[in-house]
Amino acid sequence: MKSPSYSPHLDVRNVLWLLAAMLFVVAPHLFRLPYWVGVFFIVVLAWRAWISWTAIHFPSRLIVGAITIAATIGTYLQFGRIGGREGGVTLLVVMSALKLLEMRTQREVTLSIYLGFFLVLTNFLFSQTIPLGIYLLACVWIFTATLIGFNRVGRAPRLAERLRPAAALVVQALPLVVAFFLLFPRVQGPLWALPRDTQTGRTGLSDTMSPGKISELIKSDAVAFRVRFEGDRPPYSLLYWRGPVLTLFDGTTWRAAPPVIAPETDYARIGRPARYEVIVEPNSQNALFALDVPARPPENAVLTTDLQLRTRRPLDEKRRYEMTSWLDYRYGADENRAVLRRARSFDPTRNPRTVALGREWAAETSDPRAIVERAAQLFRREFTYTLEPPPLDPHDPYDDFLFNTKRGFCEHYAGSFTLLMRAAGIPARVVTGYQGGEVNPFDNELIVRQSDAHAWSEIWLPGEGWLRVDPTAAVSPLRVDEGVNAALGPIGVIPRLIASDRLGVLASLRFGWQMINGRWDQWVVGYDTTRQRDFFARLGYASVDWRTLGFWLLVATFAIGGAITLGLLVRERPRRSEASLVAWNRFCAKLARAGLARQPHEGPLDFLARVKAAKPEWAAAAEDITQRYVAARYGAGASREELRELAMRVRHFQAA
Amino acid sequence: MPVLADLRQSVSDWIFRAAAPETPPVTLVQRRIFILPTRQGYGFALTVLLLLLASINYNLSLGFLLTFLLGSMAGVAMLHTWRNLAHLRLRPGRCDPVFAGDTASFGITVESPSLTRFSIGLRRKGEDAVYADIGTGEPGTIAVPVQTRRRGIVRCGRLEVFTRYPLGLFHAWSYVEFDLAVVVYPRPDPTAGSPPQEGREEAEEGIPVAGDEEFNLLRAYHAGDSPRKIAWKALARGQGLLTKEFSAMASSELWIDWEDAHAPDTEGRLAILAHWVIQADDFGQAYGLRLPGTRIAADRGEGHRARCLEALALFEGGA
Repeated sequence: MKSPSYSPHLDVRNVLWLLAAMLFVVAPHLFRLPYWVGVFFIVVLAWRAWISWTAIHFPSRLIVGAITIAATIGTYLQFGRIGGREGGVTLLVVMSALKLLEMRTQREVTLSIYLGFFLVLTNFLFSQTIPLGIYLLACVWIFTATLIGFNRVGRAPRLAERLRPAAALVVQALPLVVAFFLLFPRVQGPLWALPRDTQTGRTGLSDTMSPGKISELIKSDAVAFRVRFEGDRPPYSLLYWRGPVLTLFDGTTWRAAPPVIAPETDYARIGRPARYEVIVEPNSQNALFALDVPARPPENAVLTTDLQLRTRRPLDEKRRYEMTSWLDYRYGADENRAVLRRARSFDPTRNPRTVALGREWAAETSDPRAIVERAAQLFRREFTYTLEPPPLDPHDPYDDFLFNTKRGFCEHYAGSFTLLMRAAGIPARVVTGYQGGEVNPFDNELIVRQSDAHAWSEIWLPGEGWLRVDPTAAVSPLRVDEGVNAALGPIGVIPRLIASDRLGVLASLRFGWQMINGRWDQWVVGYDTTRQRDFFARLGYASVDWRTLGFWLLVATFAIGGAITLGLLVRERPRRSEASLVAWNRFCAKLARAGLARQPHEGPLDFLARVKAAKPEWAAAAEDITQRYVAARYGAGASREELRELAMRVRHFQAA
Repeated sequence: MPVLADLRQSVSDWIFRAAAPETPPVTLVQRRIFILPTRQGYGFALTVLLLLLASINYNLSLGFLLTFLLGSMAGVAMLHTWRNLAHLRLRPGRCDPVFAGDTASFGITVESPSLTRFSIGLRRKGEDAVYADIGTGEPGTIAVPVQTRRRGIVRCGRLEVFTRYPLGLFHAWSYVEFDLAVVVYPRPDPTAGSPPQEGREEAEEGIPVAGDEEFNLLRAYHAGDSPRKIAWKALARGQGLLTKEFSAMASSELWIDWEDAHAPDTEGRLAILAHWVIQADDFGQAYGLRLPGTRIAADRGEGHRARCLEALALFEGGA
């Protein structure tokens, strides 16, 4: 069949709608991309609006081509390449704008709207929160309304004539969307290599630690991850979320040793494990977090010999995983000698006073536990916990800290303690991660923020293996038992609006919102292959393959499609607003039975004239009914009473 | 590709083979409606597919939601497109005769039992479409234009009634065939001058009377009388609508004769004859028409004019 040639209906109003929709969908990007992109986009849109408004000429292909090349070069210069996330989105935004500039035909309009749908998707590369989701749903609505406007042949429709059918489409599509979302067989991406973008501005623990680094992180209120426990939550003082383990030390900075994947984790497991689920925010690092110590790695992650969970690729999107941890354990009693050697090594020329102190303790006693107790006493006696420590000497920072400033934060304590232990001949290393978290009273979810970042030590004792020692606990037991806010007292440096309003209205709102966000992350953003499997497990399917999913998807599609079709057909019956028409049709039917059928082309008044001429005795009644009908239908409309009156008069009309 | 195109055409002809004209009204019931994606529809499918791939690749849950939303909306839009056409009632409407070269139109009365229908298109095969919105209750008339070229009869043939509303992703259509035809009169030849006042046979019977333009009789107005013949002065005097009867008509009849029209070919002669018919009608003269094999007795009025012009339109033979 020959495709019909739709004449282009580039009505000004339709074009302005499209431009507005484009502006809406690109708006969130304008805050993320370089400022020239925003300026460029808005200028081009204004230019296009001006073209339509004043019906001036389109720019020549040469000019558009020149701008295109300039914009591509600009993007390349800005990002150094085209393929990355910011670069790719910039290019798409720029090209969409230029496409609008040369949009003349219906087909190009359609292409622009489809590009708009892609722009909706690009927003999700940056954020998948509820507010953005709602905002972009509104964008889809506006784009659909725009598409409807372009498909109304003749005149451009009114506002309601665009928005209402578009809303109907969106709303009627929602049941199918839910079915597809739940049932569509999920494939674990990526299908091709993702561009390695610098996830600028993301905070999280890194693989190095030097004094002052974590205390910057700790001022961030951003969520690091959320945890839901299966069963009871372990006591607060055991919530050590193990992250990067730092063994290498150069005098200032602690670094992670190259990870070695553990072939088999064999440690003595005591008591019952804690089972829980973690949703971790993207942090551009390879570390996943688990309670000390994790049993086995989740999918696409490995467990190293020092019990770190590491992903194969940096975490660039939210990730959900299930974990089992043994909170009571004996680990590493037969630790590799090379590892122990490395855990004892230090540079004696750096921090000489600290090293001397450690050696002095070792000379006094050979009992490692006594040495640890010495250190704890030292910290308890003279040291202060603060997030605003004074700057330290760059060459011998731990000497400066231990003997001069004596004010510091977890990384100061963990770092100096580990160095003291090494000086005393005890293998020791720094473990970074998070400690504690905040419990949402609505759903018992534990929210761990960047402000919960922590560092502690592990020492190795012969016959016992690695033991966790948290020197910060010696200085500020509250830090470990109740969290950083408690440790800092009522005037903590953390700008948390409602830190003192733990059970007030604001706190309730905040916790409620966090709970909703938690569910959203868990069931919507985090819905993946495993979730899908869980969902079907709940429905009683032990295993679910694509055939089962496909079958249910078909069933759902036909059921929902059938329901919508029925719904559309039910509307066959005239609505109340057309009651006048029903009455009029009944009146005409009565006359038709009396031999006076209204011709299809005959308007009510023409028909009335004919009735009057043919049957003068009915003239009065027919006149009355016709005038009422005409007033109700073509006049200002009729009230319910007037409609009832009309229906009654038709009923009483005797055509005999 | 022409082979493929031919094949498609013949398959399409076979599937939608022409049937006899239908008796009105025709209701577009479910089984009469066909629906297929448009080119934009295939483009949309490609868009959704690309969105799906991107969502899988970047693990974007909201991307999946977007993909499924657009896909489902396309499905719902298909139902809406179908619904926009379903249960429409169509009847043949007016088809006024035109002169060759003018645009004629086939009137189709379209009625929606419920729901306002948007952008309903009608077209004849190979022609441009016309669109209209159809409100509930009150039937709308869509005039399907046809550019005429030659005199004769133009049959409407099969009409495609279709819609792509709301999203343009699907093309729903149905065929209706009414016995609709437009008579195309020969285009009058304005250079032809006036017909000879003397018919050859009637020459001895009537002598053209001077003062053709003067009327000698007023009679009551009948519908169809030319406005030129209305006695406006009488109307102004309050005597009501009266029609002037001309003395000349009373006494003499004009015969418009094939033999008097001198032109090299049949069409040229018919054009001259058409001009004379119109001229005579304008003057309110009674006139007859003589063609080889046809003779229309002298008369006047709209009906007579139409009859004469139709005879010219349908004339076969000559020369």
